[in-house]
Amino acid sequence: MATTPVDDVRPAALAAVGLAKSFGAVQALRDVSLTFPAGQVTGLLGENGAGKSTLIRLCSGQMRPDRGRLLLDGAEVSFATPLEAIAAGVVVVNQEPLLIGELTIADNLFLYDLGERPGYGRARRSENVQRARALLDRLRMADYLPDPSTLCRDLSAASRQMVDIVRALSRQPKVLFLDEPNSSLTREESERLFAVMNRLRDEGVAVVLVSHRLAEVYSIVDNVIVLRDGTFVAAGPPDEIDQERAVALMAGERKRAVVAEVMADRAEATAQAEAALELDGLTGDGFAGVDLTVHRGEIVGMAGLVGAGRTEIAEAVVGLRRVSGGRIRVGGRPVRIPNPGRAQRLGIAYVAEERRTEVFHEQSVGYNLTVRILSSLGRLGSVSPGRAGRAARDLARRFGVKAASIEAPITSLSGGNQQKVLLARALAAKPEVLILDEPTRGVDVGTKAEIYATLRELAHGEGLAVWFISSELEEIVELADRVVVIRRGQVTLDAPNNAGPNPIVAAAMGATEG
Amino acid sequence: MSTTTAHTPERTWKGRALSAVKRQEAGLLGVIIVLGLLVTLANDNFLSKDNLYNVLQTVVVVGIIAVGQTFVLIAKEIDLSVGSVLALSAVSAGAAYGNGVNPWLAMAIGIGVGALSGFAVGSVVVLGRVSSFIVTLGMLSIARGLTQLITGGLPQTMPSELSFIGQGRVLGGIPVSVIIFLVLVILGQLLLTRTVFGLRVTAVGDNDAAARTSGIPVGRTRILTFVLIGTLAGVAGIVFSTQVGVAEAQAGLGYELDVIAAAVIGGASLSGGRGSIIGAFLGACLLGVLRNAFILLALSPFLQQLSIGLVIVLAALFDQWRQGNLRHFSLGNLRQRLANRTNA
Repeated sequence: MATTPVDDVRPAALAAVGLAKSFGAVQALRDVSLTFPAGQVTGLLGENGAGKSTLIRLCSGQMRPDRGRLLLDGAEVSFATPLEAIAAGVVVVNQEPLLIGELTIADNLFLYDLGERPGYGRARRSENVQRARALLDRLRMADYLPDPSTLCRDLSAASRQMVDIVRALSRQPKVLFLDEPNSSLTREESERLFAVMNRLRDEGVAVVLVSHRLAEVYSIVDNVIVLRDGTFVAAGPPDEIDQERAVALMAGERKRAVVAEVMADRAEATAQAEAALELDGLTGDGFAGVDLTVHRGEIVGMAGLVGAGRTEIAEAVVGLRRVSGGRIRVGGRPVRIPNPGRAQRLGIAYVAEERRTEVFHEQSVGYNLTVRILSSLGRLGSVSPGRAGRAARDLARRFGVKAASIEAPITSLSGGNQQKVLLARALAAKPEVLILDEPTRGVDVGTKAEIYATLRELAHGEGLAVWFISSELEEIVELADRVVVIRRGQVTLDAPNNAGPNPIVAAAMGATEG
Repeated sequence: MSTTTAHTPERTWKGRALSAVKRQEAGLLGVIIVLGLLVTLANDNFLSKDNLYNVLQTVVVVGIIAVGQTFVLIAKEIDLSVGSVLALSAVSAGAAYGNGVNPWLAMAIGIGVGALSGFAVGSVVVLGRVSSFIVTLGMLSIARGLTQLITGGLPQTMPSELSFIGQGRVLGGIPVSVIIFLVLVILGQLLLTRTVFGLRVTAVGDNDAAARTSGIPVGRTRILTFVLIGTLAGVAGIVFSTQVGVAEAQAGLGYELDVIAAAVIGGASLSGGRGSIIGAFLGACLLGVLRNAFILLALSPFLQQLSIGLVIVLAALFDQWRQGNLRHFSLGNLRQRLANRTNA
């Protein structure tokens, strides 16, 4: 059992022993054992998908573990619901605050009353406002929020987050999980939050902080735990695991050797190719001043944290999102792209992140393959069933879609095969530029390899410009010719993909490199 | 207290006036008053006491059910069956009385039937996870069918002991049904804003996940809103049938549309979480005043139907503007779009 090396004076408020959880074939957490000591702030670090959120859900009754035990103050506990966990003192502040917009701050602070008191009871709304003021005064957080009688729907994102935090504190937690609590806070607001965390530590609460702002995490934690691929990697005080080491631990070192070979020969190959898509200072909601060039025959991998603005940039380029500044050039010509139809006519194909929203669920494989090129499959708006069928079978064969027939319902296909259908659909219109958002999410290893091979063949063989967004570091390192990292809506790295994962992680997390 | 004022948004009179106008209730009241003034200019009978009572009396039945519909809409559900349930309740009461049941007990049976059908709908919606649109569409037909089975198509005589409900007047001419309506509106508003149940309904419709993690019994709350609207449809059935003295199988046909219109005009959101009982009351009144105006001004009834449709759409647009969802139509925005177009 790997435990946190703590000076043993401090009791472990919450300990996990051999926790495991899988979703279908994906093992989200395997045999994780760790402790969150009382009276300390613990930073829980890991990349997207490392298992942090799953761990928090298992600890707080939002999910039941497949295996393993939880010990609270040394006694074994098991939470069937979040409410049981909260009653025991394990409270979570989520990244997305769970608030009722049509109720006041005060009503939201005491929302649990609505569950605990009988339905015929009086709502005590004016008392709630008084109690809220008293609570805020007691926590010395009165000037962090507008008056408690304000409706929550009128609050800024930061204030909404603060309401959720105050509500968590009002439950007198023994263990407090903060999952990306400051992602929507300004620097000043973050500092206030950290002051509150410091106070809780002094009161003996075990505070667990998940945040991708490494520098900030390191300014407050007493203790760091690193997860990777659902396993416990390391734990220790910050002077033992410094930022650089943490980044290396998160990224993993096993892939380095393999990757180095692949990279050597890909560095300069694309330098002379002509630009297929150029972004010049592109600015919009969620990103600013983005410069990016995708050359013909090149695969550009865009890395960054979830929420960094990568999807927003892609959506702006294909006309799903408004652009407020900057320029887009396709094949050297400046263009405006007000809607996805225009993007398609300019030769830009896009496969969005969410497969669920991209697939026509009630329709056949064939329909899903040909839906974007229907107008070319007949005359005067008619669609020739014969030509549509041939086109669909052609596409299915070219992209290795494994389906009983093209008449089979799309839902009969595995996730990986559905992804191939989407890829084939995007390529059916013979685009010049292909933009992919998380092209292999939830896809099995074999299909992943096939998709990579197809993309390489298209780019390096046929000169297609490919730009893909991925949160899987290994995917970026393996597939990209060039890496672009986005952090908080801005490009922080644009380099050939030959330096391994560490600079990518550092650029994505904004770690101070030293 | 003083510490909390630091971040309170600015409260200028201008801001207050704007936020008052932006409340659906105030806007509605203004529309009703303006409409009333216009009608009075053309026909000064409008402001007579008798005519005003008359207007209120015509909106009582729709208005009572609109109180319930508002709860259902806030919980992010919808009830299309209310017209049929109204008839079923009225006919049940009439049939019970016809079979020798005490008139008050007959009334209780009628209302109970409404509550029961609401409970049935709510249970199927919550336990069967079927959309309430479908379940209540089914109930619309089921309740109407049951009504015809009970009556065999013949009107049921209502007990004369109860006729004061529909026809009586108290305190110098105020119709009893209007008083029942007003009392239900006030009770409804208190239930929505001043009780644990009311806030639960708002929480469930606004943010299901937050409600669940706060330990709010989400399913039970939803079922109760259907029981509430069923009960109110029952009450409306009694009021309606005692107004005319008989319970007919065709009573309340098509009322669901007026009921939903009243609630939506009053500010209820079909996407849940938001609505006002006072608003629904005013919405019902606006529909009544419009109908009345057409009668007083002797205008074509076809025009009446058209204008009611317009009011519904305008109210929904006003609501969108109020929510700030129409910013893409702002002048600055349009200007920028034009500029973009000429540049490109």
